[in-house]
Amino acid sequence: MTPAATALSIVAVTVVCAIGLGIFGARGRHKTPLEFMVGGRSFGALLLWLLMAGEIYTSFTFLGAAGYAYGLGAPAFYILCYGPVAYAIGFFLTPKIRGVGAKYGMLTGPDFFRVRYQSVALGALATFVGFVSLVPYVTLQLTGLQILLSIAGFGAFDPRGAVAIALLTIAAFVFATGLRGAAWASILKDALVVIAVVFAGITLPQRIGGWSATLRAVEHVHPGWLTLAPGMAAHGVEWFVGAVVVSGLGFFMWPQSMAASYSAKSGDALRRNAIWLPIYSIMILFVLFAGFAALIAMPGLKGASADQAFMLVVRQLYPPWVLGVMAAAGALAALVPVTAQLLAAASIVAKNIVGDVFGACADDRSRTALTQALVVAVALFSLVLWFLLNTYLVNLLLYAYNGVVQFLPGVLFGFGWRRASAWGIGAGIVAGLAMLVATGAFGMNVYGINPGLAALAVNALVAAFVSLVTAAPAATHFEEFRTAGRD
Amino acid sequence: MIRHWAPPALAAIPSIALSLAIPLVNRSEPSLFGAPFLLVWIVAWILVVPLFLYAAYRLQQRA
Repeated sequence: MTPAATALSIVAVTVVCAIGLGIFGARGRHKTPLEFMVGGRSFGALLLWLLMAGEIYTSFTFLGAAGYAYGLGAPAFYILCYGPVAYAIGFFLTPKIRGVGAKYGMLTGPDFFRVRYQSVALGALATFVGFVSLVPYVTLQLTGLQILLSIAGFGAFDPRGAVAIALLTIAAFVFATGLRGAAWASILKDALVVIAVVFAGITLPQRIGGWSATLRAVEHVHPGWLTLAPGMAAHGVEWFVGAVVVSGLGFFMWPQSMAASYSAKSGDALRRNAIWLPIYSIMILFVLFAGFAALIAMPGLKGASADQAFMLVVRQLYPPWVLGVMAAAGALAALVPVTAQLLAAASIVAKNIVGDVFGACADDRSRTALTQALVVAVALFSLVLWFLLNTYLVNLLLYAYNGVVQFLPGVLFGFGWRRASAWGIGAGIVAGLAMLVATGAFGMNVYGINPGLAALAVNALVAAFVSLVTAAPAATHFEEFRTAGRD
Repeated sequence: MIRHWAPPALAAIPSIALSLAIPLVNRSEPSLFGAPFLLVWIVAWILVVPLFLYAAYRLQQRA
């Protein structure tokens, strides 16, 4: 076999095994919307851990973190920091979300807004924001997959066709298994990613003389590379803090993360899960070292091709089967998160637009069927969009995070402030988005503050102001809601 | 009352150390095994986050 054939067949076999594992895990389950979208609210701490780690540690972690370490140095450390910040917040927030989810039968992220603020329109607005943030996240994974396949194929073929086939296969997999399949497929994905990342993070720096020698070599080639530029410089200290805070706050606001919270069988399972998730962040340290080692071993890649550095070095230094295992780990790190993202995007449209707004497909059987059909539709839509776009992985992700973090005031006020109204929360989200569009489209500089945070501040202020001038919601509903959140 | 506030405070400490405190530790010295102080600080805090959250968990259970 040629090296490309060896590497690519390992990737293909691995993907098939993960799909098989997912089908095995989800076999014999009756596909109600409850089972399909939130796993019947039955997941314990272990399956939650796999699901959340599966959603979090994506091909972005795999390639983007190494690419950032390669291309920018210390700014990449932000990827180490935001996870633990997010879990510390999630420790308190996710059990509350699960509590109200179980009490009111919530299936999707936007359901939270519909129920708490008793507004179908607000649920629809949340669906819109969730959808436009999820689609870039899916395309991000496709870019990751494309990089992996083109490197594993030794550039002998255009991988875009293979990416399309992989995505549609995964859409079919989600169609058949729902959230439980995604959680089970994560078992193989997480195991393989840990092995690949630890192996690369140790053996690549070894060739330069170990971790210390690698860091010294980086510092020698690029003095000051391992600390942040001061103040408001591009990718400087202020950018760093802003990126950590936005990603940490936005983390559990993703529709698929809300679904993961609902899927827990108890608040306790979520808390125990949050305690142990930070350990997984240490994996990223290995990725960063692989990126630094790549910088020494193969300097000179610029811009978006920095994302390829780590895999190119693996290809140059290791036999094809090692390249194949690495690429397989990366491919699962792209495809498994995509399962949860496709499912979330399809669920919110089926439930909160078609069901709540238009009153169609309200019975269990047709709602599941519609969600399944939409999974395929969203996959095709993402694919078309992906053919038209292409940017640096981290940048895409930060845009999407800026969008979902706009849900935060509605969730926090939801539990803590009786006076918060549907008009207030809706106006806040719209104002936050307007601010994001303004800063993005006109290159408006908000004095070095992260645009997501600036938009979040505007959002919260508008939400508070408009809530105070509109009619107060019923106190009894709020008390009942808050009690359900005390889990 | 202290019981009530202790768990969030325990979770806040490492969160602040890994976000708002970063400008204060953005230095290369003192380094450890060739790693700049910034990286040492970050990794050390990540390793102890589970301890803080576990302590918060136990306190919540007793409350």
